[in-house]
Formats: sequence, C-alpha cells, structure tokens
Amino acid sequence: MKKLIIIPAYNEQESILDTVRDVEKNAPEFDYVVVNDCSKDDTLKICREHHIHVLDLPINLGIGGAVQTGYLYAYRNGYDIAAQIDGDGQHDASYLGMMADELVSEDLDMVIGSRFIDNEGFQSSWIRRSGIHFFTMLMRVLFGKTITDATSGMRLCNRRTMELFIRDYPRDYPEPETVARLLRHKYKVKEVPVKMRERSGGVSSISPRKSVYYMVKVTLAIFMERLR
Amino acid sequence: MMSFKLQVILVVILLAALAVIVAMLKKRTLDLKYVLVWIFCLVVLLIFSIFPGTMTKLARFIGIYSPVNMIFFLGFLLAVTIIFTLTVSLSRTTGKVRKLAQMMALENDTWKKENEEAETGAGVYAEHEQAHEELHLQ
Repeated sequence: MKKLIIIPAYNEQESILDTVRDVEKNAPEFDYVVVNDCSKDDTLKICREHHIHVLDLPINLGIGGAVQTGYLYAYRNGYDIAAQIDGDGQHDASYLGMMADELVSEDLDMVIGSRFIDNEGFQSSWIRRSGIHFFTMLMRVLFGKTITDATSGMRLCNRRTMELFIRDYPRDYPEPETVARLLRHKYKVKEVPVKMRERSGGVSSISPRKSVYYMVKVTLAIFMERLR
Repeated sequence: MMSFKLQVILVVILLAALAVIVAMLKKRTLDLKYVLVWIFCLVVLLIFSIFPGTMTKLARFIGIYSPVNMIFFLGFLLAVTIIFTLTVSLSRTTGKVRKLAQMMALENDTWKKENEEAETGAGVYAEHEQAHEELHLQ
C-alpha cells in the first residue's frame, strides 16, 4: 500500500527540516513531499540542499492551493493514502501510522487527528478553542455529526476523498470547510486523539486581526456547504 | 426635462469614453470580448442623452420624475452589471491560474528522475563493467 505525506510549507525555513526529519524517523513507511507555496525565505533552498522531495509552486496559491497540489501528486502517482501535516512542527508524525491503520481497518474516508478528545498536549489559546468549539456546534447542528477539531491540519484520507479534493479545494482556511464537504457527501470521517506541540517556527496564518474574517468566512463556507 | 448644457456635457463625456475604448481596441490592449458590454452601455446612454424625450415615459412609469435621473440610474445599473461580470470572470481566472501553477509544479518535479539517476549510478557502473569485459574479449 502506497502512502504519502503532504507537507505544505510557506516561509518555514526554521522548522521544515525538523518536520521532515520527524517524518523520516517516525513515519518511515510513508513517502513524503513538501509543497513550497512560493516561500519568500530559504525554505526551497533548504529543501534542495538536503535533497528533500519538494514541489515548487511558481506563484503563491495559499494553503488550500498548496495542499491540493499534494493531493494531485498523490492521486496521479497512485497513492492509496494521502496524509497531510503542517510544516511548522506542530504535528507528531508518529501518529500517522496508527491513523492509516484506522483508515484501512474501519474503511473510512478520512481520519483527523484531534487535540480535543483526550485534551492532551498543546491546547491552543482559549479564544481559539472557543472558535473551534463553535465549529463543532455548527457542524453538529448542520450535519448531525460531532467533529471536535475541524481545524486540525493533521489528517489522512483515501483515494475517494482525494478525488473530491482534486476537483475542488478551498483557497484559504480550508480545513473546516473540507470536513463539512465530506460530511455532506456522507463520507465516513473519524477523529482519533493526538497530542500536538506548539509551533516551533514561523507564524500562524491567522493573526488576531484576521481572526474575525476567518470566523465569518469559514462559518459562511460551512453554511454554503449545507446549501449545496 | 434636461438642460441643454448637461446634455452637451454628457454627450461629450460619452463620446470621449467611446473614443478611448476604440483606440485601445485598435492597439489590442483590450479584449473585444470584455469591451462589448462597455460599448453597449455607452451607446445606450448616448442615445438617451441625445434624445431625452425617448425615455420620459419610461421614467414616469418607474416613478422617476426627471429623465436626467433616469440616465444616472441606468448608468448605475449597467456599471454594477459590468462589475459583477468582472468578479465572475476573475473567479474563473483565479481557478485557471491555480491549475496552471499546480501543473507547472508537478511538471518541474525532477526529484524522481534524479533519484532514478542516482540509482542507475549502478547503471553507469554496469556500463563500465561491460566495457571491461569487451576489453577482455579483445
């Protein structure tokens, strides 16, 4: 079974190497590919110097476009499972093997690593947590399913889901929206408990100033998903 | 009714705009596909500016008292339509550009090839061996 890890990276020069080493060490049965979203720093240079497999986007597409490139690569190269982790070192690659087993054994379409099942590891600030809980509530009302950590960028999916993602993938802040899309299509989504770390480098794409825009946009996107 | 002064001003502005568009079309800075709607808009406004009487009835019907306001209203509606069609085509173009960038990234991915070459470093070695054997045969 061919398995790929997609690592989207935008200005991650401090953490990309650690992330990749973590993947090589803790998820050796996976291939991996870094998608460089036209970083302005030395991310690409570092990847090339260390012979890390990197797809280099000629223009900045945003996290959604970058991740979709990874799914496109996975699908075209016949991978059965595509996983996705952030390039900032938040996610522990050692969970991916277990997540893949879960996906196969329970015949799921997507497995999400959630911080809020066992509530262990880095839990983010209370304000972000309340945003995430709001999405949990919203999706429970709209789709009748409980997703505790829809914003988690640590996820793993099968070819069926890849097909859906290749056809259409949101540009920015794609995580909750894509989960909503899978739920709408009645795909089987399951969460497993993981521990996350605090990011080791770079800055979050959601600054305080953007957080209002983030909440409005994502909420609207989830509603639109229900209307489709 | 509309004052003659305003009529002249409107006609001059509209004709100037039309002239600019035609000039840009000649130089091919504009794509005719996107300009047709502008030309249509300008011509409609031009007709109504020159013959304001033609739309007095229409203005009355909608409840607009002055034909001048009718021209402004019409201009506003047409402008909003054009802006909206631009938003639509911008969304489409964004999608196309994204696809293009992704294809380029996949196309320029030489990693696999390099790795195979690294593996067929053994291939180069084999060639050496073959050459040796050939030498021996001679």
